[in-house]
Amino acid sequence: MINFEEELKKFHPSLEIEDAEEAIYNQDLTDMADLLVKIVKDAKEEE
Amino acid sequence: MICYNCGCRLSDKNFCTSCGADVTLYKKIMYAANRFYNDGLEKATVRDLSGAIQSLRQCIKLNKNHIEARNLLGLVYFERGEVVAALSEWVISKNIKSEKNIADDYISMIQNNPGRLDAFNQTIKKYNQALLYCQQDSLDLAIIQLKKVLSMNSKFLQARQLLALLYINAQQWDKAEKELDKALKIDTNNTITLRYRKEVEEMKPSEEEKPKKKKETVRYQSGNDTVIQPIAKKENRALQTFFNLMIGLVIGLGIAVYMVLPARVKSAQEDANTQLKAVSEQLDAKTVQVEELTKQIEDLSIERDSLNSSLSDATSTSAALQANTDLIEAALMYMNKTGDETAIAETLELIPSDYIEQGATESFQTLYHTIFAAVGPIVAQTYYNTGYEAYRTEDYETAITNLEKAFYYDPDNGEALYNLANSYYRSGDTKQAVEYYQMVSELFPDTEKARKAQNYIKEIQG
Repeated sequence: MINFEEELKKFHPSLEIEDAEEAIYNQDLTDMADLLVKIVKDAKEEE
Repeated sequence: MICYNCGCRLSDKNFCTSCGADVTLYKKIMYAANRFYNDGLEKATVRDLSGAIQSLRQCIKLNKNHIEARNLLGLVYFERGEVVAALSEWVISKNIKSEKNIADDYISMIQNNPGRLDAFNQTIKKYNQALLYCQQDSLDLAIIQLKKVLSMNSKFLQARQLLALLYINAQQWDKAEKELDKALKIDTNNTITLRYRKEVEEMKPSEEEKPKKKKETVRYQSGNDTVIQPIAKKENRALQTFFNLMIGLVIGLGIAVYMVLPARVKSAQEDANTQLKAVSEQLDAKTVQVEELTKQIEDLSIERDSLNSSLSDATSTSAALQANTDLIEAALMYMNKTGDETAIAETLELIPSDYIEQGATESFQTLYHTIFAAVGPIVAQTYYNTGYEAYRTEDYETAITNLEKAFYYDPDNGEALYNLANSYYRSGDTKQAVEYYQMVSELFPDTEKARKAQNYIKEIQG
């Protein structure tokens, strides 16, 4: 049996067009390749 | 594939041929990213949008520069009605690769149409408002708002799911099922949709639980034929026919009263108005014409009066000139002592008497009366002699003419007046005779002529 109140909490306000710029800036664009480069760089520094 | 260290193109070796960096792990990451992209593409193809989103997000977590994955992720978001998320992915994609990027077309498609962009924004605002209504427990308002949202953007998955949830809460299972079916058409493998669908299926009363309809027919086999016979249902056909006729009649009357008649009346009114307008226009034209003609008549009347006045002036001037000429001629004849007083008198007679009395100057009148007084008695005697002679010879016409002139030039000549009366009497004009006899008795009373005149009057009047 679905709990309406609980289900309702899963719905969040959708981003409006005005908020798009902020959303883009706040997006974490670090990918696995960046992490790899950082790890390699740190390892080299330790040596 | 590009080396993460120097940016050179990598070969099939596990190190970079340019800088010597170990790219074994890096290559594995890139391959994994490509696998996730392929998986996402496959899921998007069969409209498993939720699955596609998961795979594509994994792909760009491994390789943020995977343009195709990012563009496809934007497209999938857009398909689910999440416009801002879609725009975000496309903008990032365009920033990573500014040229020959299809994201550019997607962004232009939305941004170049301000109306469309505004519609998207309105849809999102309304959805957020509906969510707020839900939180405030105004569920009816939320349903209305969500219906508006879906009428503006039917692919807004979250809105449809929320609407379905509201219907489930209100135990409107059929409506919830309908919304969830539509949601599944947008995203076939969305877990929320599937969960709600399952809930609805469980909660929805089965066919058996529904109140059964009364069986209306009986089927049975007769030889090779299947006979379907209605269960003994009494029908009063005559009554039904009568009711049907009455209903038809009422509908017909309704149509006539509310549709046909107003149209006819309106048409007739329009015709009448058109005719009235035409007549009014003609009337206006005629009125203008009449006014113009009246004005012309007035102008012509004024002109005529002016011309009459001019003519009158000219005539009076001409008459005055002629009168002066005649008087001068008479005066010249009198001064030259021609001895022809009759000619002088005839010349004076040519001058109109009204001009002498009204239009003539004082000197003109003086000269006229002087000449008239000088020649009057002489001329009177001449006319009297001629007239009396004619009377005696019974030429009454000549007698009347001359005796009238004799009396005119000499009003004291009672004989002339008496014989003029006699001449009228003898000629048979008793009316004129009586008038002149009256004058004789009034102007020359106590004379023999007056007594005789009275006797004649008595004789005539009998």
